[in-house]
Amino acid sequence: MQKAIEVRGLGKRFGDVEAVKDIHFTVEPGEIFGFMGHNGAGKTTTLRMLLGLTRPSSGSASVLGHDVVHDTLAVRKVSGYLPAAYALPPDMTGREFLHYIAAMFSIPRKIANDRTEALLERFGLLDAADRKLRGFSTGMTQKIGLAQALINEPKVLFLDEPTSGLDPLGRHDLLEYLASLSRDKQVTVVFSSHILSDVETICRRVATMHHGRLVACGEIDALKREHGVATMDALYLALVRKEGP
Amino acid sequence: MIRLAYLDYRATLKERKTWLAGAIFLYAVLAIPMILERPPPHVRETIAAWFGNPDPFVVFMFIWIDLAMNKLISFVPVVLGSAVLLRERDTGVLAIMAAKPISMSRYFVIRATSACAVMFTLYTAAQLFGAVWFSFKIDGFRPGTFLAAMMLHAFGGVWATALAATIAVAIRRRIISALVSIVVLGMFVGLALVGYYQPAWKTLTLANPISLAASAMGKLGALDVFVLAPPMFVLMLLTVVTMALGARIARDMEA
Repeated sequence: MQKAIEVRGLGKRFGDVEAVKDIHFTVEPGEIFGFMGHNGAGKTTTLRMLLGLTRPSSGSASVLGHDVVHDTLAVRKVSGYLPAAYALPPDMTGREFLHYIAAMFSIPRKIANDRTEALLERFGLLDAADRKLRGFSTGMTQKIGLAQALINEPKVLFLDEPTSGLDPLGRHDLLEYLASLSRDKQVTVVFSSHILSDVETICRRVATMHHGRLVACGEIDALKREHGVATMDALYLALVRKEGP
Repeated sequence: MIRLAYLDYRATLKERKTWLAGAIFLYAVLAIPMILERPPPHVRETIAAWFGNPDPFVVFMFIWIDLAMNKLISFVPVVLGSAVLLRERDTGVLAIMAAKPISMSRYFVIRATSACAVMFTLYTAAQLFGAVWFSFKIDGFRPGTFLAAMMLHAFGGVWATALAATIAVAIRRRIISALVSIVVLGMFVGLALVGYYQPAWKTLTLANPISLAASAMGKLGALDVFVLAPPMFVLMLLTVVTMALGARIARDMEA
């Protein structure tokens, strides 16, 4: 069976800095795959390389069989992406913005309209849908960010810190929703977060990055057993301490 | 893609910079009749000598094109075009847009086209309003000739917007690219009517797109499709070439 994501020796160098070093991993279709690591560990660079936003210095990767360097637009066509740091166009309303993103995917107008309304309702934004985005709170901005990542009904979803800015209820709803996408629609989710409890809640397998290297990749339970720890925090600390500062 | 271009155009129309540009055009339309109320005789005589025509309408058109519209097409295109992709990159909006299945070149073309379309909309609206307003305020005003001459000039404004957008993606720094655009467009505008002051240079000035845009000035008595269509076609072609160059430069831009 074809893997949803295959990463083979991927690396990225910015001048003298090696941001990502020779990483290998695969993600199964419909899996929710967690990405852990400190700030600057290389998580975002890896996600960006998988979307063709940053060109790898070495190695290769594919998303649903599409090469991330040579077939970038095909990768993006089947993917949704929420970056860790972004802004929304301040002069557009939430509804206009989602229509705009749908047009970038060439989604027909009627379908775009239906999906926009469904997503606005899903994230509780119907009442604010015609307000300009410049007035949105952090949580509302994050919900619109998530909605735009879902407008094309992606088969692979790349989410970089998706729960940041959300209140506890919003976080819980999002995690449940991601689990339902994976379970019911076989959407593959690659999920990066500092909040290890979020990772543990919905992911079966995780990858841990440390200073650009992949220091562990596997099932959470197996990794805990291997390192003799009971919690995610302890697992993460055990993995990065083993690697040194 | 057409729907995306339409949505982008609508979104650009609502931006604050568009309202600023609209206000500048409105000011020009309202202010010029006041400036023209009593032109000094030596100004009137000089203009009549340059264009070989003492008609007060020629004096008005010279002042409208040289003092108002030429200045606006060295400034408004910079407001509308010189932040294309750069503002999105600097504010973080491009982080989302760049991850969609549209190449950066194509996204540049969409954004630059909508900036050009907004320029054309504002420009045309200002001329239409001016045609009505000047009919009451300017003696001997000829709305048909005015609109025909200004329609050609609008193509110069569109080209200037495409140029500002292309300079932006070439330089990739907002303030520097805006300054360079102002200098470059200012130079073209400054030399636009030299051919009328120095007839020996007239052929040479045809290489200047703004001279082409203002070329109706010398033929106000005989404006027809054969006079207007060739420079319009050349300006359209220049706009397409300029935008294609911008698209090529933009293709390796990262969010």
